[in-house]
Amino acid sequence: MKRLVIISLFIILFISFIVVWNRSYQTGLEEAYIPIERNDPSVSIPSEAGVFKRSEHALDYSNMPIDETHSRTLKEYYKNRAYPGAPPSIPHTVVDERGLGGNACLKCHENGGYTEKYEAYAPVTPHPEMTNCRQCHVVQNTQTLFTAARLEKLTAPKTGVNNALLGSPPMIPHQIQMRENCLACHAGPSAPKEIRVAHPERINCRQCHVPKNSETKEIGIFKR
Amino acid sequence: MPVKSYLAHPHEGKKSELLSALSEIECCEVIPAENKDVIVLVTDTANEIEENILKEKLEAIESIKLFSMVSGFDTQN
Amino acid sequence: MCITPTNRRIFIKKMAAAAAMTAAATMFPGIVFASEQEANLSSGSDLDWKKGPCRFCGVGCGILVGVDKGKAVAVKGDPNSSVNKGLLCVKGYHQTMCIQAKDRLTHALVKKNGRYVETPISEALDIVANKMKETIEKHGKDSVAMYTSGQSTIPEGYVASKLMKGAIGTNNLDCNARLCMASAVTGFLTTFGADEPMGCYEDIDYADYFITWGNNMAEMHPVLFSRMLEEKNRRGAKIIDFATRTTRSSSASDKSILFEPQTDLAVANAICYEIINKGWVNKSFVEKHCNFSKGLTNIGYGLEDKFKFTDKPEKIDFEAYKKFLEEYTPEKVAKYSGVSVKDIKYLAAIYGDPNKKVVSYWCMGMNQHTRGTWMNNLVYNIHLLTGKISQPGNGPFSLTGQPSACGTAREVGTFTHKLPKGVVTNEKHRRLAAKIWKVPYERIPAKPTYHATEMFRAVDRGDIKFIWTQVTNPLVSLPKTSRYRPAMEKDSCFVVVSDVFPTPTSDVADVILPASWHIEKSGLYGNSERRTQHWDKMVEGPGETTPDAWMTIEVAKRMGFGDLFPYSEENHVEEIYNEYRQFHEGAKHGMAPLDVLKKQSGAIWPYVDGKSTQWRFNAKYDPACSNGEEFHFYGKPDGKAIIWQRPFEPAPEAPDDEYPFWLNTGRVIEHWHTGSMTRRIPVLHKAMPSAYVEFHPEDAKILSIVNGENVKVTSRRGSCILPASINERGLPTQGQVFVPFFDENMMINDVTLDAFCPISKEPDYKKCAVKVEKA
Repeated sequence: MKRLVIISLFIILFISFIVVWNRSYQTGLEEAYIPIERNDPSVSIPSEAGVFKRSEHALDYSNMPIDETHSRTLKEYYKNRAYPGAPPSIPHTVVDERGLGGNACLKCHENGGYTEKYEAYAPVTPHPEMTNCRQCHVVQNTQTLFTAARLEKLTAPKTGVNNALLGSPPMIPHQIQMRENCLACHAGPSAPKEIRVAHPERINCRQCHVPKNSETKEIGIFKR
Repeated sequence: MPVKSYLAHPHEGKKSELLSALSEIECCEVIPAENKDVIVLVTDTANEIEENILKEKLEAIESIKLFSMVSGFDTQN
Repeated sequence: MCITPTNRRIFIKKMAAAAAMTAAATMFPGIVFASEQEANLSSGSDLDWKKGPCRFCGVGCGILVGVDKGKAVAVKGDPNSSVNKGLLCVKGYHQTMCIQAKDRLTHALVKKNGRYVETPISEALDIVANKMKETIEKHGKDSVAMYTSGQSTIPEGYVASKLMKGAIGTNNLDCNARLCMASAVTGFLTTFGADEPMGCYEDIDYADYFITWGNNMAEMHPVLFSRMLEEKNRRGAKIIDFATRTTRSSSASDKSILFEPQTDLAVANAICYEIINKGWVNKSFVEKHCNFSKGLTNIGYGLEDKFKFTDKPEKIDFEAYKKFLEEYTPEKVAKYSGVSVKDIKYLAAIYGDPNKKVVSYWCMGMNQHTRGTWMNNLVYNIHLLTGKISQPGNGPFSLTGQPSACGTAREVGTFTHKLPKGVVTNEKHRRLAAKIWKVPYERIPAKPTYHATEMFRAVDRGDIKFIWTQVTNPLVSLPKTSRYRPAMEKDSCFVVVSDVFPTPTSDVADVILPASWHIEKSGLYGNSERRTQHWDKMVEGPGETTPDAWMTIEVAKRMGFGDLFPYSEENHVEEIYNEYRQFHEGAKHGMAPLDVLKKQSGAIWPYVDGKSTQWRFNAKYDPACSNGEEFHFYGKPDGKAIIWQRPFEPAPEAPDDEYPFWLNTGRVIEHWHTGSMTRRIPVLHKAMPSAYVEFHPEDAKILSIVNGENVKVTSRRGSCILPASINERGLPTQGQVFVPFFDENMMINDVTLDAFCPISKEPDYKKCAVKVEKA
């Protein structure tokens, strides 16, 4: 009788061992599968993403005093670009040659601010979410060319000529891909003074200012 | 043919009055400052006599506090 | 380069100016000269600025038009207008540019042997009047019809109504506001017994929450949206976007909640359930000021010709209403609405919090709905249950789409069932109209005839043999144009089109009359907040263009009704307005006298003792309240508003295997309705040259459609080819596509369904089933 009890105890132990082992093995297998989770259904719209970005700073922008001695001009702004719309080059030395840029750049270029060293305000990037900065922005280490070249120079959009009517809001004379965020370049002390907006608190820029050029071809006027 | 430029300072709160007074005079061009009470005035007259008439006209404007000439050119044509 | 003497002088002057500017900069650091930002602009200081309302949407911004040598050369926001406080939108700033379009209709055109022949206007009006008279003689009064607009001025609407109902004696008058505001009207009438919002735009300055129901205000009511954004930044007010599509408004909102098309009915009921369940009902308000009612259910969709429906309201009590709502617990509704239980409760908590002021905004999302009247009722229910109504910063606010949908279509009453005051079915109202119009009372028929959709069905059937459209472009804007375009082309109906530009509607006309544009005539508009605004003629129109009101009067005279239209050509606007004002005399709807409207940027009716009434039904602000209580809903005989029991019912056509996508249609910020004006404004055309079909990126991936690729959108009624737009202006939910309707070359209304709300007869442009394939 005693022996029977001991044997059945062992059998129970053995069975439970198999069950437990099996289950843990199965769970182990299950965990190896990583389900694909659907993203949040309300994704942002890339071409509209920037419309209201930085709008939380709009009131600060409108209250900021204008530091005339350190403001950029539009000429300086375009000087730093190979052609209007090209990614600007980096006009200063960089902290870490090996890095992507990322946080090192964003320290100054996410929100801007005055830099003693360069006696200038850091320009604010319109696309802080893209952190591989140096994919497009490079340092200029020499002023000489490899060979001479006849470079066609595209004329930059001018200010003051983009109004359709007297005093009507100017249209946007440049492409807005990756620059949907108007306030980044048009507000604050780093904005070139010719294009600094007089009313940053209005926020909904494209209520009045619409792009005037299409991305691929000239549109012309409406014909039936 | 004298061309002269001035800075015109209006009496307090009379900038727009001064602006309209100046722009009514034929040989004056005005560029008002957007954020300060000062107006750039460029005058362009045919000869000395006209220049003197203009001066009198300018001095008669009530809303003006102070004129200061910045530059002057006198050319043949 | 050789310098000419003049060039040289200009150069010297520039030098002189530059020297002075430099000197100024040293004296005043930070000085800014306009020349730096607007170097190449002229100052515009010698312009003559004239006041008026904007031509476009129902917001009714005040504009100032700069006129130089008889030409409109500039537009700016009127800083004295309390609507927009000096701000406009891109359409507003450039509106006057369309009048210079090369294809402007400057002379009357009469179709002779299949070709349009330029005809003197008086001769063309003779033809119209003779044809109208002849048709009436041959086929009876109800064989002629007029189809006008929520963009008609008050005098234009008034003379149209007087001609059709008073002079001829037919109710065959309807307008395009049927396509946009009819559900709002029936919503107001069923709940409050009085049309138009109780609040005003100033609510924006006080509200803590803005909840927008299916409404992309950033693009469609941009000036109001900017005022909301200002409050958001300044006071921390919150914007909540409740919609079926992610838009510019969603990205500016604090929270965006998406729902399945048509389930807004259920969600609104779930919010009411939650408010009652949590004990957030404002009991004293509901007891004093509200009744409960229910109407018929399973009310149909008006898809068949000669569809008739009359609701049978029945009083119920609070307990019955509460029982009814048990079907709409947040948990049950979440299952089919796509809105999470948490979000429903979140919305209910905002409405239910007695310390939060809430304004609800809506426009076409709720109105263009086969249960549009119900949906309007349901949002009023929420505000009535919580007592958040008729107070500064608290209230439901139905926005309008057209500049005078309120002023003309609703107040003058250019609908088949309406009179300037009241409805044709009411004898008292008919008697009043007959008295002011000086016509025999028996002449005004007591039975309404055709609403917009049915009017064009009657044209198709051949019942209407003469139709005159003014200020509207139905062959782009009607639903299911695939039926109504061939209908209008039929020889059985003589078509007269008054317009400023050629449109697909004028293409089928027998006579085209050249109309004056907005600022080429005087007029009055009434906006969403009951504000009546006047403008004087600012510039001369080209050729033989004539104000619509005057053309109607001329036709009336030619038909022998001259004694009923004794107005003078120079002063008819003033004379007509003064006659019209008699209809609304009294504290409930008094209109401001014209000399007041000439002086200021509009006035809100009821205009009593020289004062606008900003919040109706609230005794503190509204002198018409007479029950001694804080609130008085005097539109209803017992002074109580009605909380309606309205269930969820499905859409007439939902996606299935064959047609798997919802089709939603609407507008974009750059274009106004069918684009006949805005596409002729170069700035706007360049910014938005053609329509497109929006996809959710996942759907596009499954169909392997790339951005810009041509796609064919097909429904059971027709098809339309458009370029695909992925991740651009808007983002529909998965299983839904969106198309703007402004483009006459890509007629999406060939595809839409002409189902309508049985109560309001307003079609649903937001929901039908389509399939999409590469074209």
